[in-house]
Amino acid sequence: MTETVTLPKPAIEARPPGVLTRLRYLEPSNLLWLLLVLILLFLVAVPIGKLLVVSFEQQGTGAFTLSNYATAYGRVRYLEALGNSLILGTSSALLAAVFAVPMAWAVSRTDMPGKGLTWAAVMGAFIMPPYLGAVGWILLAGPNSGFINQAWRWVTGAEGALVNVYSFPGLALVIALHSFPLIFIFVKSALDLISSEMEDAANILGAGTMTATRRVTLPLVWPAILGGTIVVFLETIALFGTPAIIGIPARINVVTTQLWQFFEYPVRVEVAAAYAMPLLLITVGIILAQKLLLARKGYVSQTGKGGERRIIRLGVWRWPVFAYCAIVGSMAVVMPVAVLLQSSFAKAWGRGLLAPGNFTFDNYTYLLFRHEMALSSIWNTLWYSATAATAAVLIAVLVAYIVTRKLVPFGSALGFLAMAPFVIPGIVMAIGFYAAYAAPPLALYGTALIIILAFTARFLPIAFANASAAVRSVHPEMEEASRILGGGRLMTVARITAPLIRRSLLGGWLIVFIVASRELSSAVFLVGPRTRTMAVLLYDLSEAGNFEVLSAFGGLLLAITLILVGIGMKLAGRDFMLRRN
Amino acid sequence: MTGVGRRGLLAAAAIIGATPRAGAAELPPHEQELYGAARREGEMTWYAGQLSAEPCEAVGKAFTERYPGVKVNVVRSTSQVAFQRLAQDMRAGIAQCDVLSSTDYSHSSFLKREGRLLAYRPKNADGLLEFVRKAGDPEDHFHVFYIGVHLLARRNDRVSEADAPKSWKALTEARWRDQLAVGHPGYSGAIGAWAVLLRKLYGWDYFKALEKNRPQIGRSSIDPVTTLNAGERSIGVAIPSASTLLSMSRGNPLSLIYPEDGTVVVPSPSCIQKNAPHPNAAKLFMEFATGPEYFRVTRAFFNESLRADVPPPEGSRPLEQVKVIMPTPEEIEKGVPEVKEQWRDTFGI
Repeated sequence: MTETVTLPKPAIEARPPGVLTRLRYLEPSNLLWLLLVLILLFLVAVPIGKLLVVSFEQQGTGAFTLSNYATAYGRVRYLEALGNSLILGTSSALLAAVFAVPMAWAVSRTDMPGKGLTWAAVMGAFIMPPYLGAVGWILLAGPNSGFINQAWRWVTGAEGALVNVYSFPGLALVIALHSFPLIFIFVKSALDLISSEMEDAANILGAGTMTATRRVTLPLVWPAILGGTIVVFLETIALFGTPAIIGIPARINVVTTQLWQFFEYPVRVEVAAAYAMPLLLITVGIILAQKLLLARKGYVSQTGKGGERRIIRLGVWRWPVFAYCAIVGSMAVVMPVAVLLQSSFAKAWGRGLLAPGNFTFDNYTYLLFRHEMALSSIWNTLWYSATAATAAVLIAVLVAYIVTRKLVPFGSALGFLAMAPFVIPGIVMAIGFYAAYAAPPLALYGTALIIILAFTARFLPIAFANASAAVRSVHPEMEEASRILGGGRLMTVARITAPLIRRSLLGGWLIVFIVASRELSSAVFLVGPRTRTMAVLLYDLSEAGNFEVLSAFGGLLLAITLILVGIGMKLAGRDFMLRRN
Repeated sequence: MTGVGRRGLLAAAAIIGATPRAGAAELPPHEQELYGAARREGEMTWYAGQLSAEPCEAVGKAFTERYPGVKVNVVRSTSQVAFQRLAQDMRAGIAQCDVLSSTDYSHSSFLKREGRLLAYRPKNADGLLEFVRKAGDPEDHFHVFYIGVHLLARRNDRVSEADAPKSWKALTEARWRDQLAVGHPGYSGAIGAWAVLLRKLYGWDYFKALEKNRPQIGRSSIDPVTTLNAGERSIGVAIPSASTLLSMSRGNPLSLIYPEDGTVVVPSPSCIQKNAPHPNAAKLFMEFATGPEYFRVTRAFFNESLRADVPPPEGSRPLEQVKVIMPTPEEIEKGVPEVKEQWRDTFGI
C-alpha cells in the first residue's frame, strides 16, 4: 500500500522464476479484463441475446416457432404503429435539428446577445423529463382549453384553435422540444473547433457571411449534425411516456405503446420480443448508414497550426437571431414550466391561478406528507440512480483505461460491448432484462437490483464515452514515470490517473445520474410495488385524473434535478452537462 | 426495517404504558386475532385498480391507524395495468401482491380458475348490502367492497341542463361532435364493462356512431374528468361518480347526468393471492375493507357506501332511485377481451 512495501519486492524476487512467481508477474489487468467481460456480458449481451432467443420461442413450451413474428406483424394496426414510429422519429429529429443548429451556430460563432440565457434554456430543456414537458404542453396547447388557444381566441375572436397538441405535428413538436439539446451539444462543440481561416478564405473569394456559413461552416460540422439527429431519431422511436400521454388521445399508436399492449394479460414477452426486433435492426442499420455517409470525405477542421477564431458580427441581425433562440427556449422550458407551476399551486387548475381562493399548497403537502408512495419513490429514484451511475462510471473507466492503453489483446471488444447499449432502445432493453432476469433462478423482478442493472447497462455508453475521452486526455508518460519508479499498474491508476481525471468522471457520473433519475421507458416494465421510481409514479399519476397533484409532483422532480445540477456545476464545472470531448 | 419498527413500538409501549394495547383491545375478537399475526408480517401490498389515488392512500393510512405496525403498500393504477403487473409477477414466478382490487370481474374469476386465490370469508362482509354480498364469489375466493358507478357529466358553463344529453344513445347525435371524452377499455376495466353493456343494448354500431363524433380518448375512466375540468371537452362519458363528485367539491363546474337508459354499476371484486407474501395482513385488510371504517374513509371521497350503517356520499342520488344496469361476471369475462379488440379497430387506438 505504501512505497516501503512495494519497493523491496523486486529484490526478493530476483531469483529464477517458478510458476508461482510468474503468476505474481501477471498483470492484475488481465484478471480485471476477464471480470469486465463477464460483467458486460451479463449487462448487455445476455439480455439482448435472450430477447432474440425468446422471440423464436413458443410461450410455455419454449419450442422453436416463427408464430411470434406472425402475430407481431400479422395485423395492419401493428404495422401502422411501426410506420408511425418511423415517421415520428424522422419528423422529431428533423424538427430538433431545425431548432438546434441555428442556436448552436449563434452561441458558438456570433456576437448574439443573451448567450447565457440561451445556454440556460438549452440546459433546462435537457434536464426536463420529456413526459413532464408533454403534460405542460397539454395544458398549453389543448385545442379548446390550452392557454395558447385561449389567448388566440381572445385576441383574434376566432372560433377554432391555433394549435392542437393532440395531433401528429403536436406530438412531434413536443418530442423535438425536449430532444434538441442533444443536437445542440454535438454541433456546438464541433463549431467551437473550426477556425475562422476557412471562412476567411471563402470571404476572400467573394462569399458573404451567410454564404460562407452555408457553404463552408455548416458542411464542416455535418457529421455532428448527422450524429445528433440520429441520436434524436433513436431516442424518439424508443420513447414511451410522451406517446402514451399525447399519442393516445391523438389516436396515434406507435411501437412503444403497442409493445405495452403486448404486456397486457396474457403477457406475451415472446411477441413483444419479436415486435421489438425492427427497432434493433433500424438502429443498427442507421448507424451503418451514418458510417457510409461520412466515409471518404474529409471533415478535418483541427490542424496543428492553431487557427484563430473570430466572432461573426451580426449587426442588426443580432436581435432576430436572439429572438429565434428565445422562442425555442420559451417553448421548450419557460412556457411548460410556467403552466405546470401554476397548476401545481391551484385547487382547480381549469379556473386559473388568479381565481379567488384557488391558490393552495395542498398538492405539495399531500404528496410530501399524505402520499404513501411519493417520498419512497423519490428516495428510490435517488439511490437507484446514484448506484447505477457509480457502477456505470466504474465499469466505464476501467474499460476505457484498458482499451485506450491497449493493455490486453482484443481490448476493443470490451469497448464495443460498452457502447452496444447505445443502439438498443431503452424499452427493448427493459424487455430483454425482463426476459433474462425476471424469472427464477435469478428472480430479480420487483427488486431494486434489476432496475439498477438496467439503468447501469442503458447509460453505460454515456459513461464510457465520457471516461474514454478523459483517459485519452492523460498522456501515458505520467503513468510511465510512476511505473519506472516501481508503482504497479493499479497503484499508478489510483494515484496518478484517477486524480487527473476525477473532475471529468464526476461530470460523467452526474449526467448518468440525472438521465437515470428521469428514465421512464426502461423502468416502466421493471418496477415492482416497492421499487417505483419518480418517473413511473408520475406516469401513474397522469391517469389518475388529478393534474394539480401531477404538476406538483413534476415540480418536486424538477426541484430535485435543479439542486443536483447546481451541485454538479459547483463540483464539475459550469458546463459539465454540455461538454463533449 | 420492520424489526426496528417493532422494537420501536415495543419501546413506545413501555413508555406510554398500556395505551397501544388499549387501542387494540377495541378491535372485535376476530380482527384482534388476525391483527396479532398480521403485525408479525408488518405490511401488505395492495394492487389497487378501483379507487382513485387519493382515497387509496387514505385507506392505506386508515388501515395502519387502526392496526398500528401493519403498513399498506398502495400500488394504485388502472385495473388493467394492475392486472398486467400481477400477470408479469406470475410470469416471472414472483409473489409480491397480497390483495388485487380491480374493476374487471374476469381478473378474479380467471385467477380463481387457475387456483391462484386464497379463499377467505371476512366476518365483516356480513354487514354489506345484499346485492353486493351476492356479487362476491359464493366460494369466497373474491369479495366486492367497491362498485363503480359510471354515468355522464357535463360542464355547467358549456352545456345547460336542458340541452344536456339524457342518455347514452343521445351521445351519437351530431351536435356532440368534438364535445365528448371517454376512457379506454384497454386500460380501464370499468370502461370495458361499460362497453360490454352498451354493446348489449345497442350493438357495436353504437360505437361506430360514437366515433363519428370524435370523442377524446384517454386511458382511465377518470381521465375525462380532467379533460372536462380543463374545458377541453364538455361531456364526460362513463365517468365514475365518485371522482366527479370529488372534483365538483373542489369547485370545478361539473354536474352529473344519470342516463335514462341506465346508470352503469360495475361490481368490482378484490381477492387475496394464494401465494400472498403476507396472508394474515391480507385477510385483515379484507376485514377492514368490508367493515364500516373503510366506507367512512372512502365516503369522504364520494365513493358509494355499501353498508347500511354508513350513509351514501353527499351529492349522489341513491341508486334505488335511478335505473341501473349491471353486467354479469360471464358477460364481462367473455365480452371485455372482445370489446377491447373491437374498440381498437373502431377508434384506431
